[in-house]
Order: sequence, then structure tokens, then C-alpha cells
Amino acid sequence: CPGLTVPCRMTQACHRKCVPPHYKEAELSKGESVCLDRCVAKYLEVHERMGKKLTELSLQDEELLKRMQQGTGTA
Amino acid sequence: MAAVPPSSASGGPEPPPPPLQYSLLLQHLVGEQRRPRAWDPAALGGIPSPPKSEEQKMVERAMESCAFKAALACVGGFVLGGAFGIFTAGIDTNVGFDPKDPYRTPTAKEVLKDMGQRGISYAKNFAIVGAMFSCTECVVESYRGKSDWKNSVISGCITGGAIGFRGW
Repeated sequence: CPGLTVPCRMTQACHRKCVPPHYKEAELSKGESVCLDRCVAKYLEVHERMGKKLTELSLQDEELLKRMQQGTGTA
Repeated sequence: MAAVPPSSASGGPEPPPPPLQYSLLLQHLVGEQRRPRAWDPAALGGIPSPPKSEEQKMVERAMESCAFKAALACVGGFVLGGAFGIFTAGIDTNVGFDPKDPYRTPTAKEVLKDMGQRGISYAKNFAIVGAMFSCTECVVESYRGKSDWKNSVISGCITGGAIGFRGW
């Protein structure tokens, strides 16, 4: 996966989970395509939620650091 | 998580770089302020293919749906059942039996009528069974998200059970 881009990693993860290595026919069966739809939706939702949580945590850390610096500055 | 400027800065003419605010950076990368990316499937997949039009996508989605598969099985079952019924009517002759004259050959009209009735009856039964099996198999496969032998076995059990319940 060059650059570890989101669509590339998502493709690999969902392929590993949803498409078993039995290649009896070329078309995606109904079960596999349903599984892929769900996998993509979950992956993107997890990605978004993790991003929001990361920004929240980093904001908290920065506030704490700022307060500590101000505390040591004035004291 | 913010980077603090190195305390052992050069102290020379260069001012220390401003602290990097990772929260702002993260908001641009994964938070609210990220810009929508155009995910070009040709660039990602590596194998360029022409994009599908909306109509083609709709048609493909309709053809993959459970209702279409059930309808297809219904029609196929009807045709197969009709052929089978007509065929067995030709073999299994019990038409136009007259107890007073057991060796009388049935008339053509009687034979054709019997063939038609048996054909329709078999066709309806096959159509119903085929539609039920196909529909339940598609639903079970959509629920499980896998395609293996268990889907067919489960839907066969359901269909057989439903047929059994018909005599309830």
C-alpha cells in the first residue's frame, strides 16, 4: 500500500474479511457484496470517530500544557 | 501533545519556531476542516475502467436484488413445472377411464385437457417452491454476509418446513 492511503488500507482490510479465497466464479456474490458495503461503511465511520476523538484529546492535552506553562511562568 | 520549542535553542539571530499545534493539524487531516478528497478509482485500483453511468448502476442493483431473483426462479419453475407436468401426463395415462369399458382409448380432447390441467398444477407448485427457495436463500445470504453451502441448507429447511405447514 504505497503511502498507506485510507482507500488502499480499506480495500485490503475489507478484502481480507469479506472475500474468502474460493474463486469459483468471477462475479462477486450477493453475500460478498453485502459484506463489502457494510465493511466500507463501518471503516469510514470508525475513521471519522477516531479522528474526532484524536482532535478532542489533543486539544485537552494542549490546554493542560498551556496551563502548566502559564503556572510555571508566573510562579 | 503540542510540541514545545527546544529549550537548548541556538540563541542566535534565529527566533525559535512557533510551537506546532497538533490539534489544528489534526482538524485539517481528520477532523472537521478536512477537505473532501476525490477518490479516483482508476488511480486507486490501478486498472482503469470507464465509470458506470447511473442507469447502469440502477439496472445492476435491480438485477442483484432478492425480488428479481425470486421472480426469475418463479418463472423458471413455472416453465419447468409445465413441461414436466405435460410429460408425465403423457406417460401416466389414467384419463377417460370408463369402468364399463376398460380398454377404451381416451379421445384427443380428454388427453389434451388432462395434460393442460396437470401441466398447470405442476407448474404452479414448482413456481411457488422455486420462488420460496430462491427468496429465502437470498435473504439468508444477505443477512449472513457470506456465500457458502449453509445458505442453501438453511433455506431448504425453511422451504421444506413451509411446504409441510401447507397441510396444517
